Order: sequence, then C-alpha cells, then structure tokens
Amino acid sequence: MAQLRLVNVTKAYGDYVGVRGFSLDIKDQEFLVLLGPSGCGKSTTMRMIAGLEDVTSGEIWLGDRMVNNLEPKDRDISMVFQSYGLYPNMTVYENIRFPLKVRRVPAAQQHDMVMRAAQMVELTEYLDRRPAALSGGQRQRVALGRAIVRKPTVFLMDEPLSNLDAKLRVSTRAQIKNLQHTLKTTTVYVTHDQIEAMTLADRVVVMNRGEIQQVGTPTDIYDMPANTFVAGFIGSPAMNLIEGTLANGSFTAEGLRIDGLTTAHSGNVTLGFRAEDATITRQGGQIAAPVYSIELLGEASMISYRIGGALVSVKAAKDYRAAIGEIVEASIPAGICHLFDTASGKRLGAA
Amino acid sequence: MKNRAERQPLPLMLLCWGFVLIWLITAAFPFLWTLWGSFKVEADFFSYADWMNAVTGTRTIQQTGSAFTGAGYEGAWVEQRFWLAVINTAIVTVCVVVISLTIGTLGGYALARSGFRYTFWILIAALIFRAMPHVTLVSGYLLPFFQLNIWGYLPTTIIVLVAINQPFTLWMLHSFFLSIPKDLDESAMVDGCTRFQAFRLVIIPVMWPGVVTTGLFSFLLAYNDFTVTSMLLTQENQTMVPKIASFLGTVQAENKVMYAVAAVVSAMGPLFVLVLFFQRQIVSGLTAGAVKG
Ligand SMILES: Nc1ncnc2c1ncn2[C@@H]1O[C@H](COP(=O)(O)OP(=O)(O)OP(=O)(O)O)[C@@H](O)[C@H]1O
Ligand SMILES: [Mg+2]
Repeated sequence: MAQLRLVNVTKAYGDYVGVRGFSLDIKDQEFLVLLGPSGCGKSTTMRMIAGLEDVTSGEIWLGDRMVNNLEPKDRDISMVFQSYGLYPNMTVYENIRFPLKVRRVPAAQQHDMVMRAAQMVELTEYLDRRPAALSGGQRQRVALGRAIVRKPTVFLMDEPLSNLDAKLRVSTRAQIKNLQHTLKTTTVYVTHDQIEAMTLADRVVVMNRGEIQQVGTPTDIYDMPANTFVAGFIGSPAMNLIEGTLANGSFTAEGLRIDGLTTAHSGNVTLGFRAEDATITRQGGQIAAPVYSIELLGEASMISYRIGGALVSVKAAKDYRAAIGEIVEASIPAGICHLFDTASGKRLGAA
Repeated sequence: MKNRAERQPLPLMLLCWGFVLIWLITAAFPFLWTLWGSFKVEADFFSYADWMNAVTGTRTIQQTGSAFTGAGYEGAWVEQRFWLAVINTAIVTVCVVVISLTIGTLGGYALARSGFRYTFWILIAALIFRAMPHVTLVSGYLLPFFQLNIWGYLPTTIIVLVAINQPFTLWMLHSFFLSIPKDLDESAMVDGCTRFQAFRLVIIPVMWPGVVTTGLFSFLLAYNDFTVTSMLLTQENQTMVPKIASFLGTVQAENKVMYAVAAVVSAMGPLFVLVLFFQRQIVSGLTAGAVKG
C-alpha cells in the first residue's frame, strides 16, 4: 500500500511560512497534481515528502509509517528535480543506472531496466553522452528516466516537462500517464501548466501562498471553483470576475444586471462566469456595452468588454467579427453564474 | 583556424611574446644555472677568479680530468646520506597531504552544506591562523614538545604541518564544494544514498580537480617547509630542505657547498614530475550539465 498522508504539514523559513497547514490524503495509485503560481510552495511540499526538507510541524505518513524522521533513501521514492540534478561525471546510461546500483539491484537485471527506461524517454541514442553534451530537454528526459528506472512506492515529479518542446511535451505527457497507469504507482506531480494538470490528474490540488485553495478532480476545479483565486487561476482565459451587489436574487454592477439567481445571500458579492458559457446575442443580453477588444483565436473569437474595473471576455463563433467600440450584447443567463463572497473570496452556495 | 576576434595586432603580439620570454628566462635561468653548476667543483661554480669558469669548468677539468663530475651528488647522497632526508620528506609530505585532504574534504563539505551562521566565523578564524607567521606557532610548541618528550620525531612535525595547512585546505575545499549544486547531493540521496555515499559516489568524483589542486598546494607547503622542519626535527630525522640548509651552513669543508647544490637539484626533480602528472587533472568546469542552464 503506497498511501501518502500529510497531516497539517507546515514549513517555515524563519518568519516566512513557505507551506502552511497542508493536510491531504493521497490514495494508493492516485495521480495527484499540485498546481499553483510560482513561489506558492509546490516544490517545498514535494521536498518535504522526499525528506530533503525538514518539516517544521505536522506529520507525513507513507503507508502505515510516519516518515518525518526517515532519511530520503529510506522513504523509497523517486523524484524528478525541477533543476534535473544529473551527475555530470557519468554518462546518460550510468546516470539512469545509478539508483539501481546504489540500491543493489542484481547486476543481471540492471541493463534491461536501464534500456527499458531509456526507451521510454527516447534516449537510446544518447546513452554514451555526458549531461553537458545534451540539450535542456534531453537532460530533463535523463532525469525522468532515472526516476522511472525502478518501481518506488511514490513518484515525485517537479515540473518534469517544463523544458520540452510542445510536441515532445504532449507525447511525454501521454507516456507519463500511461506509465503511471501500468506501474500503478502513487504519483505527486508539480506543474504550473493547467493543461498538464487537467489531462494527467486524478485529483488536482490548487495552492496559493503556501496554502491549499481547493482539492478536487479536474472537472470539480473547473466547474466549481472554491474561491475567487481558483476561479481566476484555472482556465484559459480564467473565469470573468465582476464585483457587485446581490439583493433578492439579482446581481447588479456598473453596466450589468443579472436576475433570477437562486440564492438566499445578499450584500457584496463577486460574480463569475466562463467566457465560453456566455453567448453573443442580438438583443436582450445582460451586457450591452462597447467592445473593448476582439481577439481572433482561430477556433473562436474572443470579445472583451470593460465593466466596472474588470475586463470581461465572451467567446463568440470563429467567424464573428465586430469593430472596437461597437455596441454588442452578450447573454449571461443566471444558470452559468458562480457567486463568491467579495470579502472572503469564498464560493457561495448554489448559484 | 583563428577567427577574427582572436587575431591581434602585431605590436601587441610582439609585446606579449617578449614579456613571456623575459619571464621565462628570469624564472628558468637560476634553475638551469644550478643544474649546470651542480656537475662542477666548488672552485668553478663559486669561482673567485672568473665566473666563466662555471661555464667552462676549468678547475673541474684540472681536479677530475673531465668537464663534468658527479662528486657533489655522490657526496650528498652517499656520504651525507641525503637519501634518508628524501625518505623523511616523502613520509612527511604524503602524511600531510593525506591527512589534510581527508579532514579538508569532510570538513569543507560539512561547512559548505550546513546552513548555519557559525560556518562563516569558523572560516574567518581559519584565515587568521593561516595568516600568522609559522614561526609564531612553532616557538610556542617547542617547550611543551620538549617536556612531553615528543620533540624531534616525524609524527610531531606532521601534526604541526597539518595544523598549519588545514585552514587553507578547509577554506579552499569549502569554496569548491560551494560551487557544486546542492541538487547533486539531493538526487543522490533520493536515489538511495546515505549522506556519506552521496559524498563519496557523487560529490567527490565531481570535485576531483579541486581535491587535486588543493592536494598539490598542501604538498608544496609540506615539501618546501623550512621553519617547522628545521626547528622540530633531530639531525637524523631531517627532511630535505633543512638538510640542504645544513650543508650550506658548513662551508668550511671543501666541496660541502657542492653537496647542497646537488641536493637542491635532486629536490627539484619530484616537483616537475608531480606537476606534469597532475596538470591534466587541474581543470575545472566538470559540473557542466548537472543542472538547468
Ligand atoms: N531556503 C529558503 N529560505 C527562505 N525561503 C525559501 C527557501 N526556499 C524556498 N523559500 C520560499 O518558499 C516559497 C515556496 O518555494 P517553492 O520552491 O516551493 O515554490 P514553487 O511553488 O515550487 O515555485 P516554482 O513554480 O517557481 O518552482 C517561495 O516563496 C520561496 O521564496
Ligand atoms: Mg518549484
């Protein structure tokens, strides 16, 4: 059983808290993705799981062992470092073989295991080279190969695809997903690429400033963001967020009024909706305002308005055209709206 | 195959080469002169009459019948048992290098990887001790050594030389270790190494040029030391440098000075071998490719 449990894990650097009260149960064989902006504590969380960073307070459980005080080597994990951490004096082959050698895997099996891993990350042509003679993407694949060469209880991957080109990234992504499915190894994966998070994850943890914002399946996170941070972070473009007031199921903001919201709340709220849920209409739209800009994305056209202080985008058909400044109406039915408390940012009950 | 940027104007080239040539002559001449002179007799090499005698070897021919003589070497090595000093020097230098490097790599690694504030003060203290003239330390040692009855033995000298050399090795290796990214230790530990295995299997192979360079400096310190070895060793335990000095101190006896000259030349041999042997190792830039960009 490779269940991973973090209980109230906190990491403080002097006064600065890098990770605060991180509690999470990661199920056996689960693919968990940590997602968040730069500096939010993703790597720190990983490094605490790996044992490279002491936990200031809290507990980390691997299966039924409390591993807080175990050395990294005794935790039986393998990790892809954000900065690769390759051994410069060894060839690619030796780099990938190193974990096997140190962990005393019988020599007869080592070669096959190395070759299998090298094939998986498409490095068979480069086995004799030193890391210095490789490109960034190739180095990253060596790091990946070294991590997958043996079967640990937990895989930790810190942005393992950040340096690959778009095409290789898609294929390696698929490989990682497939590999995890075959090996059935619990995996914690750090990224700040949402597409990666959405495609790979069984569950996504969105973090900000060292705290968990929301834990859920990719669909949950996308469809039911728990607060304005998640709403504004997930999706491309992110959810439109408009501050206004709510009374008797009607939301009003400067230049916008939406009726029929099924909610008992009132007061200052933030209303959110996704650009692709709203539609451009000829008449009767909730927004009727001059177009601020129009972007042609290829598969759609993106119309944006300026409402209050916020920039609001609405997706239109790909052949839709409008001039900047032209008054265009958009329909935002109550059904697509999300409501958040403006003060706390928290999601308000069913909208 | 020179590209444009590397091509330099002729006057500058001449100046550079001229400078290198002058430097080479200044540096190499005393050595070549001594080497040549070591095969002459004292009356030639330290001639009152004409310095050209040292080149032509007039007296050498008169005294021995040939232009070159090995008398100086024979006297130093056989009669004065210079080989004993060579063995002593070998023991002292090897021990000093090995002990200094062992303590230096372990300590330098620990200091480089510990995040504590005190590392800075330890290093500053090390620098201060290093900066003190050796003789201040040695004069302090003399009395206790006599009383403990450990004066005159090689191990005592080795310990003192290590103590003098350690601050420098520690400092130098510390900065080499700092230049090796922490990620290397960390990957090694995640891959299944203990701290010490990470140090031995991953860090030291990468550090090798740094270790060799530091080892070379330690070697030179022990090999060339006069202050400590001359004050702390008995006659029969003397190393090469004080031995040579003692030849020079007894100028009364005919040809004793030539023993010193011959011994000096003998003492220089190992240095050349050493530098030639290790020059390929003294390169840096081995960590290239370990981490991102
Ligand atoms: N040794 C340290 N001392 C003080 N603060 C630190 C230390 N290490 C990390 N931090 C801080 O902890 C925070 C979290 O860092 P972390 O490396 O986990 O970020 P991250 O989420 O991985 O970001 P990125 O996506 O850029 O890799 C950062 O704000 C960083 O400045
Ligand atoms: Mg990071």
